[in-house]
Amino acid sequence: MPGMAPAGASAASWLPLVPIAVVAALYLAGVRRLLRRGDRWPVARTTAAVGGLAVLGAALVPPVASHPDVFAVHAVGHLLMAMAAPLLFALSAPLTLLLRTVPMPARRRVLAVVHSRAARLLTWAPVALLLEVGGMYAFYLTPLFGLAHEHAWVDLGVRTHMVLGGWLFSTVVAGRDPLPHRPRLPGTLLVLLLAGAAHGVLAKLMYAHGLPAVPGVELGAQVMFAGGDLVELAMAAAVMSAWYAREGRAQRRAEGRAVMRAAL
Amino acid sequence: MPGRSVGAGVLLGIGVASFLDETVFHQILHWHHFYDRSTSDVGLVSDGFFHAGGWLAIVVGLFWFADLQRRRTTVPRRVWAGGLIGWGAFQVYDGLVQHKAMGLHQIRYGVDLLPYDLAWDLSGALGVVVGIALLFGPAHPIAERHGSS
Repeated sequence: MPGMAPAGASAASWLPLVPIAVVAALYLAGVRRLLRRGDRWPVARTTAAVGGLAVLGAALVPPVASHPDVFAVHAVGHLLMAMAAPLLFALSAPLTLLLRTVPMPARRRVLAVVHSRAARLLTWAPVALLLEVGGMYAFYLTPLFGLAHEHAWVDLGVRTHMVLGGWLFSTVVAGRDPLPHRPRLPGTLLVLLLAGAAHGVLAKLMYAHGLPAVPGVELGAQVMFAGGDLVELAMAAAVMSAWYAREGRAQRRAEGRAVMRAAL
Repeated sequence: MPGRSVGAGVLLGIGVASFLDETVFHQILHWHHFYDRSTSDVGLVSDGFFHAGGWLAIVVGLFWFADLQRRRTTVPRRVWAGGLIGWGAFQVYDGLVQHKAMGLHQIRYGVDLLPYDLAWDLSGALGVVVGIALLFGPAHPIAERHGSS
């Protein structure tokens, strides 16, 4: 609806929707291929994928993306792009879908990447945590924020880092894809606690020191504080619901064994 | 498993204390401030951990409790014991260490603080005492009470 776009928004400002629609189409095509050959694919995963891409899209087009001067709106965009969308996308198990739909030679190449030394390092929980949290601290507390507003390429680099960092972190903590090494539940909860504390402290540091030095930073910092809580609450629920399902399966197996023993 | 019931209770208690603090005192009454200029950096970090730990505790506690219920091994008396200890200890820590020693923020502004501080800290201490009392005495899992497996 270009007629309803706010002043200054052009057709170009809707361009980010193109790659997002392409990714959504690829995901849905993969799901269709699985369902056609009779495999199961949980509806929740497809919903998470479409939802995550929709959230990412909402952050990249007007009105959220067309008010770079209002810091609270920037904060909303940041929460959608770097936290909410990555969590949903991690829950959609894109890697599992890819591995199950591409032909064997391509699958081998994907697996080689997943098991490569670099991927092992990046998916190690402390590294993923550092990349996610470190990126945000560097962006909001250093002159990087100002540079990103002056140079489009810095802005693009920072945004890309935040989306990928958020996705990596969500995948390691709450993702449904298999990883070479994923921390056990206590380790996962510890990483979540550290991330939650780091986000809360960052929002208060921004509020306390007026960083980045733009008008409206107090409101933006509070938006980030509350919104970050909501996403981390959802992330903790995702981690614990997976644990609850695992425990349930283990319990049913144990009961099954007990019944077998009693029958013998 | 009485120990697991206490553990789930402690997590729920910490979570409830943190949730009440955030919703009632910060958001509804606006007595607590998001930040006040007396806050030290140590205070900010401590607040960050307790705030994040609070909501994490409530999520983990609820799922843990649900698992106990599913196994029918919940000991309600011990859940209450843990809950009161967790809530009370969080309240006292918040009142003595975070409000006073670290100067994070006060309970309320523009009033005589003493009655507020006393009510805050003593209610927490009372919770801990009652919780500890509930740690003793008979422990019946819900499976026993209903006579089913």
